[in-house]
Order: sequence, then structure tokens, then C-alpha cells
Amino acid sequence: MLFSVLIYASEDFIDALSPEEYASIMQKHGAFHEHTKANRSFAAATKLMSTGTSVTINREKDDFVVTDGPFAETKEQFMGFYLLDCANLEEAIEAAKILPLDHGRIEIRPVAFFEGADFKNAERLVINAS
Amino acid sequence: MPSAWLSTHLRAARPRVLAALNRVFGDIDLAEDAFQDASLRAIRSWTPDRLPDDPVAWLIVAGRNCGIDTMRKRRRETLTAPEDLEPAFDGVHPEATLSEALDHSVYRDDILRLLFTCCHPVLRRDQQIALALKVVAGLTVEEIARAFLVQPKTMEQRITRAKKRLQAARLPYEEPDAAGRTERLSAVANAIYLIFNEGYSASQGPELIRGSLCEEAIRLARLIVRLFPEEPELRGLLALCLIQHSREKARIAADGSAVTLDLQDRTLWNRTLIAEGNVLLEAALRAARPGPLQIEAAIAATHSRAATYADTDWEELDRLFRALEHVRPSPVVALNRAVVLSKLKGPAEALDRLERLAGPLDRYAGYHMARASFLADLGRREEARRAYEQALVFAGTDVERTHIRSKMSEPVST
Repeated sequence: MLFSVLIYASEDFIDALSPEEYASIMQKHGAFHEHTKANRSFAAATKLMSTGTSVTINREKDDFVVTDGPFAETKEQFMGFYLLDCANLEEAIEAAKILPLDHGRIEIRPVAFFEGADFKNAERLVINAS
Repeated sequence: MPSAWLSTHLRAARPRVLAALNRVFGDIDLAEDAFQDASLRAIRSWTPDRLPDDPVAWLIVAGRNCGIDTMRKRRRETLTAPEDLEPAFDGVHPEATLSEALDHSVYRDDILRLLFTCCHPVLRRDQQIALALKVVAGLTVEEIARAFLVQPKTMEQRITRAKKRLQAARLPYEEPDAAGRTERLSAVANAIYLIFNEGYSASQGPELIRGSLCEEAIRLARLIVRLFPEEPELRGLLALCLIQHSREKARIAADGSAVTLDLQDRTLWNRTLIAEGNVLLEAALRAARPGPLQIEAAIAATHSRAATYADTDWEELDRLFRALEHVRPSPVVALNRAVVLSKLKGPAEALDRLERLAGPLDRYAGYHMARASFLADLGRREEARRAYEQALVFAGTDVERTHIRSKMSEPVST
């Protein structure tokens, strides 16, 4: 089953990290990549740009309204996610423990449907939860 | 938790906490002291398992209480403490209430007020930069002094004088209207860009780039974009800083000498920063409210899109510099237009344009450099040499001087 591993952190905190601290966080992500690629559970990794780049699309009557910024102001922001193909929830939890957990939060949420594309070959990859 | 992480939490929380304390006390000094005391309390009571849910709110409550204690002590020496100084939050988890009360709009107004106070037009530019770095970014006086190559004592005095000047100006405490807010944001954006520029092209000393200043400026820009995403000039500011900063590794050769845009190894440009800068700019331009920082960002973005210097879209740059000259005319912008013109129409026409700028730019190394390069292109070697010598006179950094000397020894192109 596919699981999403959702990462939340405070952007104020991420911006305040020293280069060494940032490197030590990335090291844990590196270890996570290594572990999940070795046991072939790794499916995808996505790191998002800062919420400063966000726009939000709403519908007002018959018009689309694009507002600047994320849809909600929150103390912690959604930073990115992994997709893991694991036998069960327990395996996903074990893998997520490798990630940096001292700062921010990590949520594991099973995937109901997934469709991906190989950008270069335009081949589709479809996975339904079952 | 290692103490390094704790200090990062404090550094991250500082702008918002200090902004709130500045609102409570209406006094930057008292707010800074209160933050300091609150930080000490945090160091004593925060542990890895017991970090407050909302460190910002925790620090505001603690800082407020510390500040009130300080005021009580001061007043006890003169008169008894008035009732209105009682702490408002005395619950077991007081920050929980405050956390909800402090919504986004309160942070926005507080931080804008704090930043605008630090970057207030009554202050000189160097005072604005020093105050913003000290109060908002939380750099120590020693760190700021090192960045500006002055003695810590000199920097201390600069900051003290800036604060006195603010007190003397008796800035009114008021909510700005829409026009006033735009004016404040523009002053703040300019001050952040000054900090970035001071780091990016250090005006004095042995180093060309002081990366920490660039990074602090980017951190402040990110904070303010997060608070005011609907202000296109702020996104323009962040885009500009990110795209310029993307060239950091390519701008300095292994021997420490400067590498100009035409000679940079573009594979060293940081593509992640360029991508973020470009998308920020695109988002900003959707608002159709152009401003000088958005135009400057568009200029930087145009360079970032050229695979090689030869691929540079000079027509687009000419349009952008013309737009910049329209919204914010300056001799330096005119100088840049002349350089673009030399690519489009050749050095003779560019030199003609340049000569008209001689008055205001006579003491500016960049002017003499451009002039020397046009003269060299025209084969007027002796005049080019004299222009390079003039550039040497006005160059501020060793890196700049080395660069000029290397240009002087180059064979003349035909």
C-alpha cells in the first residue's frame, strides 16, 4: 500500500537554521532515502518551495479569483512529502522514524489513489489502494 | 535538545516576539531587554520533550512579564506601580490564550511597525541597516561591527545614536492607512535591499561578498513576504535577492578575485534559487502593480535565463532599464542603460550617452570602468588607461582594485 509521509515545520525556524543545522537535517533525509531505496519502499520525494511563492485559487460566483499566499495562515507550514510503498502502516512508521523529528511534525496518511507520469516518456503509473 | 537548537528557536521567534513586546512597551530598548530575559527563562525551562506548543506566544508572555518587572523596579525608585501594569496572563498555560488571540493580522501590524521603526526615514541608511540587523535579526553588536569592518564600540555608538534619534523624533503610534502602509512597506523593502547589497557588493574592505548579510536580508525578506504575500514589491525584493544570491559561487574565483557576469561559469549558478526567484517574480507581476524592485528582479531574471553571456536578451534588458529609469531615475540606472546600449548599438553611441553622466558619477568606480571599456573597444587606448586609473582611485575594495588592474593589462579587443 502507498503511504504519504507529510512534513510540517515552521518556516521561521527553517530560515533561522545555521548551515550546519540544515546539513544535519538533510543528513537524516539522506538516511531515509538510503533506507527506503534499499528496501525498495521509496516511491517519491517532493520538497516544496516556500509558502511565499504560493497562490490560492478560489471561485467567486462565476469568476476565478487568485489570491496571493497560502490558503490558510498556520504556525507550521506544509513543507513536502514522501510516498512510500510499504506492506503495512507499521513499516511506514518505522521508516519515518529515521526522519528529523525534533522540529516540526510528520504525519503518515495512506494513499487512496495515485497516478504518476514519467515526465520524459509520458508513461503513466497508476496505483489504486486495494 | 542541544543548546544550538534552542538558540535557533530563539532566533526564529525573535522578530515576532520583539515586535509584540515593542507594541506592549512602546520602547525598543525595553522590548530587547525583555526578550533577553525571556530567552534566559526559556533556556532554563525548555527541554527537548517540553518545548512549548507555540514558542512565540510563550516568549511573548514571558517577555511581557519580565518587562513589567523591570518597569516596576524602575518606578519603585520614583513612584508606586500603577495598576495597569499588572500582567494580564496569569493562568497556568497563559500562552494558549495568547496564541489564539495573536492571529496573523496582529503579527503583521506588529512586525511592520517594528521594521518601519528600525528603517525609519529619520535615520541615516547605515543606522537603518545596523538597527534592523540588531533589533529584528538579532545579530550581536560584534557581528554587525565585523560585517561592516568597524570597531564594536563604533557600532555600539551608531546603534545608540539611532535609538536616541528615534526617541527624539517621537514617532506617533498609529495604525497606518492604506497609503501609509504602502509607504512603510516600501521603506522596509528598501532597507532590506540595502542590507542585501551591503553583503552582495561589500563597499569596503578585502572581501567582495559578505554572505551572512545576504542571508540575513533573505531571511527578513522571506519573513515579510510570508506576512504580506499580496504586496508584489516584497515578492520582487525576495526574487531579486534570491536570483542575485544564486551567483554567489560564480562571482568569486578560487584566488578571491571578482568574476564579472560575462565571464562567470553559469553552471555554478544555484538553479534552485533562480527557479524560486523566477516564480516569485511571475506571481508578483500578476498583480500588475510594477515597482522598482520588481523591475530589478526582472533584470536579474533576464540574465538568469541566458545560457551564456552571448545569449543575453539585450532588447529585453533595454526595455527593463528604460522602465526602471521611468519609475526610479538615477545616474547608476542611466549608466546601466548605457552598457546595454553598447551591446545593441556599439560602444560609440554608449560612450556618448555615458559622457552626459560625468557630473553625478565622477566619483563612482563603475562609471570609469564602463567608460574605460567603451574607450578600449574603440581603440582609444591612452584614454582607456586614464579611465581605468580613475576607476582605481574610487574603487572601495581590494577585490575591485584587483579586477580593474587585470582589465588594464588585458590586450585591447578590436
